[in-house]
Amino acid sequence: MNDLVATVVRGLGNGSIYALLALGFVIVYKSMRVISFAQPAFMMVGGLLVSYLVLSMNFFLAVVVALLLTGLLGAGVERLALRPMIGKPVFVIAIITLGVDIVIRTVVNSFIGVDIRQMGDPWGLKQLAVGGVTIDQRHLATLVTTLVVVAALFAFYRWSRTGLAMRAASSDQEVAQAQGVSVGAVFALSWALAAMLAGLAGVFLSTGIGLEQNLWLTALKALPVIILGGLDSLGGAVVAGLAIGVVEALVGNYGGSLSPVFGGDFFLVVPYLLMLLVLLVRPYGLFGTREVERI
Amino acid sequence: MNTRRRTVAVGLVAAVLAVAGCRNDAPETQEGSEGVKFDVGVTQEPCPDAVDQAKGCIYLGVISDLTEGPFKALGVPVTEGQKAFWKRVNAAGGVGDYEVDVVKYTKDNKYNPQVHNEVYAEIKPNVLGLAQTLGSPPTAAILADLKASNVIAVPASWTSAWAFEDVILESGTNYCFESMNSVDYGAETLKAKSVAAVHFPGDYGDDAAAGAKIAAAANGLTFTDIPTAPGQENQGAAITKLVAAKPDVVILTTGPTEAATIVGGAAQAGFKGKFIGTSPTWNPALLKSPAAPALTALYLQSGPWGPYGTDTPGHKALRETVGEAAFRAAPSDGYTAGWVWSYPMKAALEKAVESKDLTRAGLLAAVKSLTTVDYEGMLPADAGKYGGEPNDRVFRQSLISKVDAPSPTGVAVEKNFFTGKTAAAHEFSKPCYQ
Repeated sequence: MNDLVATVVRGLGNGSIYALLALGFVIVYKSMRVISFAQPAFMMVGGLLVSYLVLSMNFFLAVVVALLLTGLLGAGVERLALRPMIGKPVFVIAIITLGVDIVIRTVVNSFIGVDIRQMGDPWGLKQLAVGGVTIDQRHLATLVTTLVVVAALFAFYRWSRTGLAMRAASSDQEVAQAQGVSVGAVFALSWALAAMLAGLAGVFLSTGIGLEQNLWLTALKALPVIILGGLDSLGGAVVAGLAIGVVEALVGNYGGSLSPVFGGDFFLVVPYLLMLLVLLVRPYGLFGTREVERI
Repeated sequence: MNTRRRTVAVGLVAAVLAVAGCRNDAPETQEGSEGVKFDVGVTQEPCPDAVDQAKGCIYLGVISDLTEGPFKALGVPVTEGQKAFWKRVNAAGGVGDYEVDVVKYTKDNKYNPQVHNEVYAEIKPNVLGLAQTLGSPPTAAILADLKASNVIAVPASWTSAWAFEDVILESGTNYCFESMNSVDYGAETLKAKSVAAVHFPGDYGDDAAAGAKIAAAANGLTFTDIPTAPGQENQGAAITKLVAAKPDVVILTTGPTEAATIVGGAAQAGFKGKFIGTSPTWNPALLKSPAAPALTALYLQSGPWGPYGTDTPGHKALRETVGEAAFRAAPSDGYTAGWVWSYPMKAALEKAVESKDLTRAGLLAAVKSLTTVDYEGMLPADAGKYGGEPNDRVFRQSLISKVDAPSPTGVAVEKNFFTGKTAAAHEFSKPCYQ
């Protein structure tokens, strides 16, 4: 039983990272109707900045400064590379985000080199025993931080004027513009928020052993998450991220013999199987908005 | 057009097609100074950065992971190690009347077999052989053409499949024998009664796990197979299974961050067994990570040759040529690997020049005739045997290193070259993982 609880907490820890990444994808999609493939790059930027900033300041301060800088980078990328493409097919814009991802990651990689850069976080690989259950402190820290960030994000969308403007722009850009909402500012803010969330995911992902060049691949796990949760649902991203993290951990631990073909690696396929199953029943994801189509 | 003209036109087209069809695709053989024959990738003009302008140039291609692929951290220092090796060879007079260039035809494969194939096709008409082809899957994509065209290639990997390919010029033992030796070391020196293999899938991890399983059976040890996937966040299940199985020795074949996650995580959960990881599981930067205490206490490294700081004439020459500043900028045993892998190519080129046949076929014949290679102490000379059956010529010795923070790459030799009883007795009739 203790083993099961520890596995679930580990899954929630990883799932929190997937949720943070997925939220970024959803925020950009809601504002621009485009899937941003630049999220892995922002994830790496967040981790990289913390690894340098932490050499001269406290870890928590380093995280705040790094996320602000990552957010600025996100907004800058939107202004310089995406804004001029407004009105172009979304496919073209998505491909541009792919190019942005490669360019930023190549620069980030040149700073990482063969190194494994340290976050200087207070958790490391330390564990915590709670009622006989041993859990990694960093998994707990990731989960708690994610919950706080998600709560703040939902409050921002629900009650702030800017959040309302973002929701309005997401609903109908022309009407929102007619009401005085600056759609350009909404786009920039969306990219900044998405970059910050990805950066935070990068920091927590690197808290174990460190940041290395291949870490960006983890960001791709957010893709089945957003499909599962619904491309335009913030709540869906959180629920699906946590669910996929937990299911992955459980199948990894207990489902080794479920598939003779994949063996112990079956857990890697599970997110995509879940995604396929949900798509069969709910093509817009668990919490996605069903689009009305006139025939 | 009247009938007569049409007949002439058709006849001309047919003649052109016939001539084109008869064209010999084989490159023209030429003769250089002192009667040395050559065909592709050898010129009588000097290399672009020649030390001696009077010498000709042998061009060798390098296809490595240099920018955005997953093994860039290995590919870059391996390539730099090779450049340093040939720089030293050229400074010492080159090979016969030729110097060797490994810079002009250096290409990035991004660890993508398709890209690998494309850049290989691009440089193939200009190179005699490949000084480096990084990665087993990318190399597999060009293997058929390497064989068909007699192109000798130095692999930047240690899978046991290479021993079965004439055109592949591998060095040192492979993952399979290395892991057999590690299990034998565990049974004899660490008095292990049980062993587990935690490994990536494919011809890296599966090859090592196959060797570990064979050696576990030979030593009467219980064996637990724990496959795992790349990614720090994917190691939780492997740690849980490992802690539950409680083996005395664990053979690790993963990447460095996965290895550190497993060793650190298992140690936190109270695991007391020893880990023996193959050389790709190590990165000296891990000694700055939270897993450093666990790695220092529990981790040993197996390897096909000694790390960068080892005391042999070859290692000394490597350190002098690479230079302290360049090495300190990115400490890695990739330099060592790139350097060691180049010795048999040098020996084969020398033999080919000696035989006055520097054609691709001549180089292949020279490789097959090698019975020893002077590795300047980095490997025993009999590691350089390339003719005959794989079972007779495969090199079975490996060594064990321990974590040693002051050493240049954080590890130092604990037990020098040895062949365990399992590896010595193993009938090597096919790649271990097949």
